[in-house]
Amino acid sequence: MTGQTHPASHGRLRARTTAGKLALGTLAVLVLSLAAALGASAHRSAGTINAAVIAPFSGPAANLGKFISLSCYAAAEQVNGAGGVLGNQLGCTTVDDTGDPADAVPAVARALATSNISFASGLETNTAAVTVPLMNDAKVPFFTAAGLPAFDKTADQYFWRITPSDAQNGAAYAVWAKLKKYKSAAIVLQSNAGNDTAGPGIIRALKSLGIKITIKIDIPGEAASYASVVSRVKAKNPAVIITATDPQTAATFFSQYKQLNNGKVPPLITATASLTPDFFDAMTKVLGASFVTSNISLVGYHVAPSSAAFAAYKAGLASSSHVSPSDAKVVSGIGVIAGLYDGDIIMALAMTAANSSKGSDFNKFIPKVTTAGKGKVVVHTYAAGLAALKAKKQIDYVGTGGQIHFNQYHNSAGNFSATAFNTDGSPRLLSVFGAGLIANALK
Amino acid sequence: MGIFVQTLGFGIAAGAVISLGAVGFTVQFGISNVLNITYGAFMTLAAFLGYVLLNRGLDVWVVLVAVGVVIAIASAVFNRVFLSPLRGRGAGFVNLIIGTVAAAIILQGVIVIAAGPSAVTYGQQYGKTVSGAGLVFSLAQLIIISITVALMFGLHLLLTRTKVGRAMRATSTNRTVARACGIRTERIIDLTWLLTGFLCGAAGVALAVTTVTFDFSIGSTFLIYMIAASVLGGIGQPYGAMIGGLVVGITSQLGAAYWSPAYQDVVAFCILIAMLLIRPRGLFVAAGVNRRNLSAT
Repeated sequence: MTGQTHPASHGRLRARTTAGKLALGTLAVLVLSLAAALGASAHRSAGTINAAVIAPFSGPAANLGKFISLSCYAAAEQVNGAGGVLGNQLGCTTVDDTGDPADAVPAVARALATSNISFASGLETNTAAVTVPLMNDAKVPFFTAAGLPAFDKTADQYFWRITPSDAQNGAAYAVWAKLKKYKSAAIVLQSNAGNDTAGPGIIRALKSLGIKITIKIDIPGEAASYASVVSRVKAKNPAVIITATDPQTAATFFSQYKQLNNGKVPPLITATASLTPDFFDAMTKVLGASFVTSNISLVGYHVAPSSAAFAAYKAGLASSSHVSPSDAKVVSGIGVIAGLYDGDIIMALAMTAANSSKGSDFNKFIPKVTTAGKGKVVVHTYAAGLAALKAKKQIDYVGTGGQIHFNQYHNSAGNFSATAFNTDGSPRLLSVFGAGLIANALK
Repeated sequence: MGIFVQTLGFGIAAGAVISLGAVGFTVQFGISNVLNITYGAFMTLAAFLGYVLLNRGLDVWVVLVAVGVVIAIASAVFNRVFLSPLRGRGAGFVNLIIGTVAAAIILQGVIVIAAGPSAVTYGQQYGKTVSGAGLVFSLAQLIIISITVALMFGLHLLLTRTKVGRAMRATSTNRTVARACGIRTERIIDLTWLLTGFLCGAAGVALAVTTVTFDFSIGSTFLIYMIAASVLGGIGQPYGAMIGGLVVGITSQLGAAYWSPAYQDVVAFCILIAMLLIRPRGLFVAAGVNRRNLSAT
């Protein structure tokens, strides 16, 4: 019997082992918590400043997330090339919200709990309603790409937006239709959160500008056939179609339009968000290169390609190992992405001005480094801003979209532009028009 | 009246694609008693294989047949390697469904890894339109409708006029008794998966021709319409599924024409629910139109 253990002692041993495991587990959790706490404070003195890019990186909208993240990588190149922020390197942490609010909440909550985030960008329309409150409550400043008009008069103190609301974007389509002297327009929008809020802006502006709305129709994405809808739209014979859909839906819809209208499709006005290879390739295969390069206008937030800020943005894109040359070419034409780059640079400058990477400290410095004023040094890059701040001067960062004018709700609407595709899919600027025209159209 | 007739034509064109897929889906269920959710992912695979072959310069209808053959073999292998062992180990009906759901997710993930999340485009294939009597069809739609009708007719002949067809129906009705009568039921099930796999592959390519552009979600998106068509027609009944597909296609197009395209599916599925409330086992079982019920139930 030597060597055998009594069943009762087995039980005690198991109990002791279980208790031991529990104790070890508790200890491990305590050590991890301590490490996390130390990490949270340590990142403010040395190491990496984390910029979260909250966007869809998987699922159907994965490309959008990829493009949004490029703005952060470009900014990180510029900031780190100038020596970093408060002695730290700027790093980009991607947070995959999948474009679905149900996935976005746990993803953002987890990132806030574990990633020592100093500021964020992205938070696009599909998930903004749930991600914005989370970030605001955590006192983490952020620049959003969401155009929801609900944020036009927000009380969220950590919310910042230098790109237009969906209503303003919608009105911009109408203004461009007016500038092109179209007398009538059909509105075909894919049902989604962004278009639901852009639709009223388009209608209001078209009516205000005296353009006849032949039909306004919302379509579901990725249907097998839009023939019935096409039939209704073409029966009204619009001079132009104002549309916003994903590439897949656009290709199906307009291929059927072409089929059912003897090979003819009216000119199209759509969003600059469609300045993507996916959209260009799909529409070129369906409508032909000639149509795509001469009859599609892409309207949205304008960035000035000749500005010093834009040159820095392009240099950041070019030098980042995270950005492929083809992607750099695409995103350089999308105003919203350039706007988010400006947001990241502004955050870094605000931290430097506040001498703190704590959101509640540097948040109030965001308007201070972007407001024009007497005696202020106008800067277009992080390096120039850093140098001026070190020289104890006040700065006014003028970004890729020009001078920023934050209102009391932390919104700043810039200029708008219409762009066309070149034969290789790259953007070609057609015209720039001011926010004043949009405001008038929305009156 | 003009709009109604035209919309009817659009519905028939859309319904033909749904029918093509739904018949394969329902026959597969009827004979092997597996509600195969992987069917949608195989359709996606078919659409992408078609894209690869089209880019090599093949005609789209040659592509449809070639991809159909590939998916037929893949489906049969899937049944042999994955589902048969599961059944052999006593997996029940629900467990098999969950197994096919898991396999669908994995296959879709593999497709995304291989082809990426972006949409790809077939371009307009046989896009010339033909019109008459108020109806407008593209040449591609007419060919797809013809293929669907031809395959349905072929399936009808197979099931009613051949020894193999009778064996399939016997297997569908009661596998144990069929085996006792000397029918090699496993072979019959293999043959079923080959046949329905071909329909699945053909439907995947036909769907991509219709939508022109698609991404990795195309199969899973349209699977729900195929299930609806199968249920509408009486699950396990090929002729019912064919009519069910047409009903789903036509009602959704009518919904888009007369109400709102944003709610076109709502119209189709409201009709489905209404039909089920009136005839819970499906349109054709209750009506007794089709006596060749393949369902094992």
